This record gives sequence, C-alpha cells and structure tokens, in this order.
Amino acid sequence: MFKKILVANRGEIALRVINTCRDMGVKTVAVYSDADKKAMHVLAADEAVYLGPSEPSQSYLHMDKIIDAAKTTGAEAIHPGYGFLAENSEFVEKCEQQSVVFIGPPAKVIKDLGDKITSRKIMVNSGVPVTPGLTSTEADADVMIVEAEKVGYPVLIKATAGGGGKGIRIVNSSEEMADACSAASREAVNAFGNGEIYLEKFFTKARHIEFQVLADKFGNTIHLLERECSVQRRHQKIIEETPSSVLTPALREEMGKAAVTAARASGYVNAGTVEFLLDENNNFYFLEVNTRLQVEHPVTEMITGVDLVRLQLEIAYGQELTISQEDIAGRGHSIECRIYAEDPENDFFPSPGTITFLKEPTGPGIRNDCGVYSGFEVPVDYDPILSKLIVHAQTREHAINKMIKALKSYIVLGVKTPIDFLIDVLQSEPFVQGEVFTDFIETHFSDWKPDMSDADLARIAFVVDEMCSNRKAKRVASAEDAIPTPWQTLGNWRQGG
Amino acid sequence: MEYRLKINEETLPVEVENDEEEKFTAVIGKNAFDVSYTTVNDHCIHLSVNGQGVNVYVSDQGDGKIIAIKGKSYFVQDADLLEQNKTRKKGPGSDLTEVTPPMPAVVIAVAVGEGDVVEKGQAVVIVSAMKMETTLVAPFNGTVQKVNVAEGDKVMPGDILVDIEKNEPEEEILS
Repeated sequence: MFKKILVANRGEIALRVINTCRDMGVKTVAVYSDADKKAMHVLAADEAVYLGPSEPSQSYLHMDKIIDAAKTTGAEAIHPGYGFLAENSEFVEKCEQQSVVFIGPPAKVIKDLGDKITSRKIMVNSGVPVTPGLTSTEADADVMIVEAEKVGYPVLIKATAGGGGKGIRIVNSSEEMADACSAASREAVNAFGNGEIYLEKFFTKARHIEFQVLADKFGNTIHLLERECSVQRRHQKIIEETPSSVLTPALREEMGKAAVTAARASGYVNAGTVEFLLDENNNFYFLEVNTRLQVEHPVTEMITGVDLVRLQLEIAYGQELTISQEDIAGRGHSIECRIYAEDPENDFFPSPGTITFLKEPTGPGIRNDCGVYSGFEVPVDYDPILSKLIVHAQTREHAINKMIKALKSYIVLGVKTPIDFLIDVLQSEPFVQGEVFTDFIETHFSDWKPDMSDADLARIAFVVDEMCSNRKAKRVASAEDAIPTPWQTLGNWRQGG
Repeated sequence: MEYRLKINEETLPVEVENDEEEKFTAVIGKNAFDVSYTTVNDHCIHLSVNGQGVNVYVSDQGDGKIIAIKGKSYFVQDADLLEQNKTRKKGPGSDLTEVTPPMPAVVIAVAVGEGDVVEKGQAVVIVSAMKMETTLVAPFNGTVQKVNVAEGDKVMPGDILVDIEKNEPEEEILS
C-alpha cells in the first residue's frame, strides 16, 4: 500500500480521506491557502504544504503547485476529494507524466464522461437510455430555441463540463433562452474554465437516483446499490438516502445492471457514480457519470459496510477488488443531511462568517463528517459546506426520527444553517410518505418560514444571558479593583528547581 | 426590570420579577414563566421554565444574540438599544440609497457607469460569493453618481458599491 498520499482538497472531504488513511496507516499531506491556514484539514494531516492565495486558481486549482507539493513531500499518490481538481483530466495527465498516482479514473475516462456530450454518445451506443436533448454543444441561443421546441419546454441549459449544480439554468420559454445561456455559460467559465453548453429535456416530476459503482484494473466492475437524492435546492442535493423508497427489487437490479454497463462502456476504473432520472412511470434515463467520490457516499457506506475511500486507495494501488456483486447487500436505512453555511429563509444564500460555537450530535447510528470547529471563520472563497450529518437505522421511519433527533442536538452558532429547515422537511408528510421529486422544495417549501413556537423561550434565554454577562463583567471589574496578588506584583519571578 | 425584545418584526416586553440568585419570574404578554437557570459554559445555559428543562445555546453577535433551542435558531435583539443606535446613525443625505452586497463577495461585473440613468430593478453590479452569482439592482429610478468598485474587488455588506441619486422623489400623499 502507499506509504504517503497528498489530499488535494479542504473541509470535510479532506478530513474524510485523512480519516481512512489513518485507519490504513497511510501518512497524509494536506495543502492549504491563505484562507485555510487554521482549517481543520491542515491541523489533522501529518504534513501540510502552503499553496498560495485564497483564490482557488492560485491554490486548490493550481495543478503544478499541488504536484510539486506531492513531489517535495514524497507523497506517492493524490486523492482529489470532490470539486476542485477531482474531475480535471488535464490534472490527471500531469500526475501521470510526473509519476504520481491519481486516486480516481484514468484521464481519458474523466475526459469522455466529463464531457456530457461524449458521455451521452457512449451511453446511446451501449444501449443505456438517455434524456431527450442535444448530443452536441451549441452556442447559438436561437438554435437552442429550435431544439427546445422539439423536446418541449421546460428544458435545461447545462454546461458540458458541469457538476454540483453549477452552470445550469431551467428555461420555460423562448424569451428566457438568451439570458439563461449566457448566465449558465459564464457560471461554467468561472467554475470549470469551460463555457460550453447544451440542452436537454427537464422533467418536472422526476426522481434523482444514482448508483455507486466500483471498478478495478482487472475488469471487475460492481455496483453498490442506489442513493435517492431528489431533495434539492438550487439543483444541489441537500438530503440523500438509501435505499430509495420506490425501487422494486426488479427495477433495482435493472438499473444496477445499466450502471455497470455504463461504467464498462466508458472503461471505468475506481469509484464512480452513475446518475439516473426516474420519471413518474418508472422509466429511467442516464444523466451523467460523476467520476469522483460523491459528497453523499457515506449513506452507501452505512448500509453496505464498506469503506469507499479504502477501496479507492486499494484500486489505485493496483489491487484486485476483494468483493463481488454477490457480496453487496444493503442493511437498514441511511439518510444524509448536508449542513451548509446558508440561509434557508433567503433562497439558501451563502452565509459566511465565524462559527462562534459548535456542538456536534452523537449517539448510536450517528455520523457527522465535519470540517469546521468553534472559532473557525468560514471563508467566502469556497463552497459553504460545513459538514454532512448521516444516520443509520433499521427502517426508514427509524432513520427519519434519528435524523430529527440528531439535527435538534446539532448546534452551529455564528453562521446561518438549514438545520431548522431540514427538521421541517423530514417531518413533512410528503417526505415521510417518500413522495420526493426533484421539485420537492419548490412545491412544498418555497415560502418556508422558521417556526416561532419557542420565541418566548428565546426571549427568556436572552434575559438570562444578559444577567450572566452583566455578572461576569462585574466580576472582572471588581477583580481589577482588588488588591494585587503576589502573582501580579512579583514580576519576572520564576520557580526554582 | 423590563426588556423590550425583538424577534423578526415582533417586539414584546419581557418583565423580570422576583429576581433572585439564578431564579426569576418572566412575564411576556399575559404569560408568566417561572425560570431557574444554570450556566453550563459561555454558550450553553440550562433553563428550567415552569418545571420543564431545556438546553439553550447563545452567541452574542453584538447587535443581538443568536439563540438556538431544539434545532431552531432565533435572532433576538434589544429594541431599546436598536432605537438608540438608529437615531445615532441617521444623518443627512438620505436621498442616496445603498447598493450593497448581502454577504462578503467578489465583484464579477459592473453594469453601469457614472452618469447613467437607471430604472428601479435594473442590474447594476453582479457579485459572486461561494461560487454563486447575485445581481444587485437599483433600488429606485435614478442617476448613478459614483461607482466605487471595479471587477475583482472584494466587498463586504455595508460597502456602498454604487451611489445612485433618486431622480424624482416619490410624491407623498398628505392627509
């Protein structure tokens, strides 16, 4: 196994990777920018290398600096986490040239699948159903309008290099097309350095269901069941769970097979995720392959009992998969909630700032993959994810209740979080019934307001805190007035011995 | 002792009676609460209210306190203090209204120049924070007096990015 690897990421995912490395006895090298000098991943790693200014292009996206850091510290491999350089084929090529192992798929696979157009073509050729839409990029909004009329509004304008909800716009009519195209393109340039866009049909009533796949270098490819990720805001998932409440065993098997076919057709190696849309009639369509470890991978780990990061390292090191499809069985139910620094009352706007107090939930079946601490300043420069709260229980109902309990004991002060919003979603009738579609938030929670039932208690707490801080201030003041103790008057006195 | 405490837009008086060591009665509206408390640490207070125990978490933000109770957060402000601060801050030049980012951000584009006539709702500056773009719009019809930022600048809430002067003050109906 590798002796030492470099983790080219920050926040909770860097911590997640470092954790498994610790389990395996693999040393870790963290990298960081100006904004992250005191970030948790820097404090947790065996070594840390400073990259440069907070601006991602000068630090976490700077390929040469990162590869240099690996070379200088003697790290044999680089784990990219998710985001940043995780799906950048140029970076993988550079790693290959410099004889540093990239823990992920080969450059060509990332290139093919990262380009939504190429990946759609691969799937069509191997018989995996895809969503209706373009199979080539298009810069002309007028041509987009013609296509949109063919598949029917609403449509999605998507960055071909996209991911993570960035560079996507919904278009409901031809008038909105030009603005949507330029906005999606500009966002894509900023996020991925490539502004190319295409069009596909937007299903208003659909579920987002994805399959975890694993493939080694010996041609063994398996799937590790599904994750249902339909609850999204701004096209970004906030609640994920497994198993999905709508998949029958037969449909699960069929989709699982399609996922394995998709992985094989693209020559996939390492851990990846095949995303599907499932419409109301249980027809599924290939969306894309995420060629990285997903944010929501922990729910799969909870029900299958595997450590995906460990398997990623083993595959990258050249080992053969030790598990086969028959070994994979889901036990119980797992749910993940993403805790971002954001304001659910104000369209989930990012809410950077200093975390003045943090208390993580604990207990049986509760896991919190967290990248922050009390006193940490959440930088404006990066994705505002703070942590992922994951629960595991015997049934979906138990998992929901466990998650609500965990959220209620999760205290994050100083920045806004969606904790109260998530509690209301989990308690809502449609969620409890498993009636979750990608429009869930817009349909049921678009004018959500926080519950004010404990406002009296909050006012009482304010008064108590005032009383306590007045008392504290008085104590400090009277201590200053008091006769100086020998400790204050002795000056540079030192104990002998 | 009486406090006037504001949560969202609702300000209610809180009357504190029988203040003893770590015990008092709070009267809010028609309701009286028997309160006893233990401070666990700087941010955690264990309250017993009418015999029911609950842990509350507090962060003093200067202009108010964030209070977290059972997964819900409240921002509680002292209305008397707020009024004092307001009168202090208010000054002349109230025709100039602010175009300011809702959060720390980076300027992506400036869509107007000095002397431009803008309509209410027209995009004036696009900022980005945490990879998300936000368009800041003109708060009313007016003329751009001054552009204070350029592309790439880091800006904070309260920073005035563009000064706009109202063209026609809206006529007030006098009764």
